[in-house]
Amino acid sequence: MSAVTAPADQASWRDRLAERPFVALFGVFAVLYLVTGIRDHGLFTENGLRAVLLLTCPLAIFGAAETLCMLTGGISLSVTMTANLAAYVAASKSHLGTVPAIGLALAVGVAVGLVNGLGIGVFKVNPLIMTLGMSSVLLGITTVGLVGNGFLAGTTQILPVVTRISTGTLVGPIPSNAVVLAVIAVLLIWGLGRTGIGRLIYAIGDNTTASRLAGVKLWQVVIAVYIGTELLAAVAGLLYSGISGGVAPDQTNSYLLTAIAAAVLGGTSIFGGQGGYAGTILGALSLTVLDRLLTSLNTSDAVRQVVYGLVVLLLAWLYARVTGRRLLS
Amino acid sequence: MTTAPPRPALVPKPTSRWARLRRRHGWLIVTAGFLLVLFFWRFSQLPKFGGFELRTITAGAMVVAFLGMGQAIVIISGGIDLALGAAMVFANCLSALWMKGQHTGMCFLLAIAVIAIGAAIGTIVGTTIVLSRVPDIVVTLAYLFVLSGAALLILNQPGGGTAQGFRSAVAGGLSQPLPSILWTVGVLSVLWMPLKRSTLGVKLYAIGGNRAAAYLAGVDVSRVRVVAYTLGGMFAGMAGVINTAYTGSGDPRSSIGLAATLSSIAAAVLGGVALTGGVGGLVGPVLAAVVLGLIPAIMLGEGVDPNLAQVVQGCVIIVVVMIGTWLAVKRRAT
Repeated sequence: MSAVTAPADQASWRDRLAERPFVALFGVFAVLYLVTGIRDHGLFTENGLRAVLLLTCPLAIFGAAETLCMLTGGISLSVTMTANLAAYVAASKSHLGTVPAIGLALAVGVAVGLVNGLGIGVFKVNPLIMTLGMSSVLLGITTVGLVGNGFLAGTTQILPVVTRISTGTLVGPIPSNAVVLAVIAVLLIWGLGRTGIGRLIYAIGDNTTASRLAGVKLWQVVIAVYIGTELLAAVAGLLYSGISGGVAPDQTNSYLLTAIAAAVLGGTSIFGGQGGYAGTILGALSLTVLDRLLTSLNTSDAVRQVVYGLVVLLLAWLYARVTGRRLLS
Repeated sequence: MTTAPPRPALVPKPTSRWARLRRRHGWLIVTAGFLLVLFFWRFSQLPKFGGFELRTITAGAMVVAFLGMGQAIVIISGGIDLALGAAMVFANCLSALWMKGQHTGMCFLLAIAVIAIGAAIGTIVGTTIVLSRVPDIVVTLAYLFVLSGAALLILNQPGGGTAQGFRSAVAGGLSQPLPSILWTVGVLSVLWMPLKRSTLGVKLYAIGGNRAAAYLAGVDVSRVRVVAYTLGGMFAGMAGVINTAYTGSGDPRSSIGLAATLSSIAAAVLGGVALTGGVGGLVGPVLAAVVLGLIPAIMLGEGVDPNLAQVVQGCVIIVVVMIGTWLAVKRRAT
């Protein structure tokens, strides 16, 4: 008697989900949104949706920065410091005019990214250590600049265009900074998926040795990636300064770990070679909604933080289990 | 048939003692040398160098030293623990809360309890990492949030206290450097030296050096990983208790936790523990912690803007790791 075997085309729902992690992510986000909306009806209104999108944008852009370097198997712990410094530069040099001020802020991002890229790509320093050291250096530079007659001293004025984009509304529930996010998203998703350098980024993250042997100039790709990372961080810093209305040497620091969490929850492997920005956006949205859910529960800051950490852990665990992804290489 | 003339036997030259010393302890020797240079620089800056000045250096570096030791164990085993600083803050707040108003003897008992709790936290973290198969960076990141929040739950603002006798016994009175030195050396000799030479110690290095090979050699990788995180948590508990003794209070601010974690990683790496695992020891991180503490002090003494100390510290970390990586690459190439 022949054994009955399952037909090959009836892949289990789990296998199908593993191939499309985006669906799992979207499911998580939808559930979170509904649950939060039940507790906080404001979420279903236009204003509520707008608030969520407004707060998600800086996080999503930080997430983009982390996604980019995580895809090469690295990480960047200096993004928030770059953001703070860029925001400071733009605000204190705003008297030079909009374009020069923003240009200087973005130049900060490029400079930091260049140094990081050189250290990681050319001198082969571990990304964790390089960016860790860099964040110390940046904090020092910011503090020195603020002292007495340093280069950052003097009145700071958030550029009006920054304020308008960060806090304005485009139409209905869509805030203006969603435009910035949309542009970045299109660039990243198209760039990672369809350009040569995008493929190279995935390649060196997936298998550095093979890439090197295949002739990829690793240091060039790494420098480009880290410049991109810190540039995005600078943009995020500018946006945040618009939302918060001011600048401070540590104002975006809470975003560091959340951005990494968003990228990881979005399916980007911390070892590189896997993932993408679409997932990170969903991850950022989910975490923002989660934060709102916890706020609506009217618990203390402490409880919120504990639950936040546990939920991130649970989501990462679930994600690994459901998609069957071996996150451990 | 003619035979070819006998070829001289190819016998490798035995490595000299100097070469062996250099390979095994090279980094440690350089770090110790660097520390001595900085120490004498500081010595030359101060008009008077007595117990007070020495104690400031040793006791001030104690927390980072212990955290660096805990982080070193985790990194040697091939992992990393981003939550270690938060665990230290948690232990700090818990011990400050419990020790308030107690006498010295009770404080010591409570310290042991808190250290045990720190180890338990490490076990939970390690077990989560092993069971969930989520990368350690992500898991410890999540626990960073949890532990920071938990510290806030215990102490929602800086407070708590401890017995004066406990403070003097652990961190030394204002002019007594001996307690801090003795505790650090004591823990190193009693805890680390035996561990390093034990089977467990060999296994820790094995799973860090080549996890697959260790597994194939029969090492229970999961269990040893959990033990590594448990030990890390224990050191974090010690660091927290030391912090309570040093500052006399508990401070639940999460920024302290993150900064402490980053310092512990810096101390470990500067102390010769390679982030890839399987390399290094615990003496290096202790020396590196003192180095990191001396840099701002020296700069202040030279009249340099102490804010630049951050810049210098960051640069030192980067440059040292750069040199270390270059040396490792060079060694592999020969």
